Amino acid sequence: MVSKADWEIAPIRIDPDSTEKLFFTDHEWDTVEAAAARIMPTDHDPGAREARVIVFIDRYLSGIDYLYAAADGSGFLQLSGKDAHAARARNANMQRLYREGVRELDRKARELRAPSFAEASEQVQDQVLEQVSGLSKPVPVSLTSREVYYSRLQGNTDEDKSFFDTLCLHVRQGFYADPVYGGNKDQMGWKMVGFVGPKSLKDTMDGTYSTAEFFVQEYDWEDLVPGFKHGQESETAGSPGDA
Amino acid sequence: MKRKMDPVDAVIVGLGAGGGPAAKVLSEAGYKVVGFDKGPWLRPEEHYSGDELKFQNRSYLWPDVNLMPRTVRSDENSEARIFNFSPVPSNVGGGTSHMAGWMPRPRVSDFIFHSLHGDLEGASLADWPYRYEHLEPYLTKVEWSYGISGLAGADRGEGFRSKPYPSGPLPPTQFGKKFYEGSNKLGINSFPLPMSHLTEDNALGRPAVNRTSFWNQYGDPTLTRSSVATTYIPEALSTGNFEVRADSYVKEVKVGRDGKATGVIYIDPDGVEIEQEARVVVLSLGAIESARLMLLSSSNRFPDGLANDSGLVGKNATFHEYIFAVGLFDKDIEDPLNGWTGNYQSGGSTHFYETDENRGHIGGGIIATTQIGQAINAILPGRPVWGQAMKDADRDYFNYSMKIGFILQDMPQETNRVDLDPNVKDAWGMPVARITNKPHANDIAMSKWQIDKNVEILQAAGATKTTPVYLGDEFTGNACHQQSTVRMGTDPAKSVLNEWGQAHSVENLFVVDGAGFPTAMGVNPTLTIMAHSWRCADYIANTYMKGRSERLALPPIKKS
Repeated sequence: MVSKADWEIAPIRIDPDSTEKLFFTDHEWDTVEAAAARIMPTDHDPGAREARVIVFIDRYLSGIDYLYAAADGSGFLQLSGKDAHAARARNANMQRLYREGVRELDRKARELRAPSFAEASEQVQDQVLEQVSGLSKPVPVSLTSREVYYSRLQGNTDEDKSFFDTLCLHVRQGFYADPVYGGNKDQMGWKMVGFVGPKSLKDTMDGTYSTAEFFVQEYDWEDLVPGFKHGQESETAGSPGDA
Repeated sequence: MKRKMDPVDAVIVGLGAGGGPAAKVLSEAGYKVVGFDKGPWLRPEEHYSGDELKFQNRSYLWPDVNLMPRTVRSDENSEARIFNFSPVPSNVGGGTSHMAGWMPRPRVSDFIFHSLHGDLEGASLADWPYRYEHLEPYLTKVEWSYGISGLAGADRGEGFRSKPYPSGPLPPTQFGKKFYEGSNKLGINSFPLPMSHLTEDNALGRPAVNRTSFWNQYGDPTLTRSSVATTYIPEALSTGNFEVRADSYVKEVKVGRDGKATGVIYIDPDGVEIEQEARVVVLSLGAIESARLMLLSSSNRFPDGLANDSGLVGKNATFHEYIFAVGLFDKDIEDPLNGWTGNYQSGGSTHFYETDENRGHIGGGIIATTQIGQAINAILPGRPVWGQAMKDADRDYFNYSMKIGFILQDMPQETNRVDLDPNVKDAWGMPVARITNKPHANDIAMSKWQIDKNVEILQAAGATKTTPVYLGDEFTGNACHQQSTVRMGTDPAKSVLNEWGQAHSVENLFVVDGAGFPTAMGVNPTLTIMAHSWRCADYIANTYMKGRSERLALPPIKKS
């Protein structure tokens, strides 16, 4: 068994501008790209289409070769053993979910008298997504309403979700994940929200990428923590607070 | 024919927060020790980086639920379902390889919870068989060898400490500053929580360069975050007395005719079953898996599981729950809060830790303001899931929201437990842990009261809108904390382990993770686990191995 600690790195890179399809048929590609564009639409900022979310999803669905980027982004990890086995089984389920999901989108579009989902108007596409989600199209966050929620597990795997929920999650992932995975082209997702991310994954490994400038630069713990006095902590500690 | 390895002095099963200190202490004392971990031995500088998708969505470090499932149900009569409950990384380093790293000390009151409160209906409150003062020297040892940053003297309710911290805290983040502002308006004593990361100019001379803000649930490729895999494991190895067997799955603790443990059976990376004998067996798989391994290790002497004469193995489990409130701020008048920056927490408080019965519940826990995360998974309760509304919400609030979280101290209940699932097996063919849990009324009341208080702090800090996220009708295991499944105590009828983590009925079996903690405490458990493991290992090395035994005399409790 090759341990996870020794998985090989396949030196492959994803070209976000690629139109080569590793999993989708042409029609499936067009359909998912159209749906993604309604989920993260284009306005004065780029949306899923420009960020190449479709490339991200296609590579992910193609098998297990694009599951984990190498830590430094130099390629992708080649899973082995039990991990590979479990990942392949999940991938097969995911492929099935998308194939059936695309058929469902087309079926609902035709019910609304469009030739297909991809060729439907944006209004009809939204109607189809409402039907598939079972809910009306989300309205803007309200600052006056008051909602209550309950805790859930952190982390967002894509297991045990409906096609619609899976697609929404994958669109976010393709829009905001490190560009090494094929989406978030030129970091356009990050730029839109104001996340100043690293130039490359490698830069996050050795201190090259730093967010230090975004911390508070001038402060004194005695101001932030009333009652605290420097020196209480004795001379053996570092010199906290003297920023 | 099963292969057998040469006997050693001690085996340690599980090389995370519990196993790491024990490995160091026992090997430095000159004993030959083999440490097992079911998972791989990753190399941080080669395997970790700031890849949100990989660490947060695709579970590179979290256990694969298809290989190592757990099941959960809310009571005896409901069907258990597969769920990745309390997902702690399964590798050398364990939870210390993904944790944000809150490392607060326990409080004096944590050790005498029953004495302070008496019985609570439906709960099984208990005192610990040792006190804060017995653990204090070990808390200090861990802070100074593992590497913890903090601001000694800033937490007004802290117990006695014999030494300050070896490292100062990080500067506050922008959202951290807001938290201090809100807290100070309300007169709440807030301070930088102790963390398992170092900052520049620390007294340990360790480089601390990771300021990427890829922190909670990420592995750290540098030595900035203290992890068992980069501290105690290498220190144990340097003695020449310690060997790591990674990717090695311990399936049973063997018991001899005399009722003592003889060692373990494990499955090696190539699937071969091997026996490893040892004079002492130390379990530190985390409270869920330590209980499970004991239940899997049944024998003629222990038909209900190893050392389980009391029938309590697996029972009284506590998990904490991470709950929080989120505040949205007006981007037209505020500076960006940069909720994606920082090493997770940026200011916390134990102001509400001690019991105040006017609140309608007993106990309390630690609160802290924490990152909302990177862009894919940024926390925004009720975020529109698609369309222009989602895009606008991301654009408007990614940099203008903050959250204040809470570690909920759940009450121990005998019905909240870990046992073996009769139907579900893991990838090695062994029955998995089934978790039965339902919050106590005190847990629900505590959740409501504290999260409403967190809402007040957010409002005092200037939030335009606040949203509470309470504990629901089941625990989700989202804190990745596990305690109390193999209780310590002085009475063998009411506990499984004694004050040294030693099984009452198997003298050479020690459980040194959080499984022994009789109550959950209101602090993150890792520092306590490490100090506890060190203390137990000290006893193994200096007393048990020398053929002696000792009982700790507990002075009467002075109620103030």
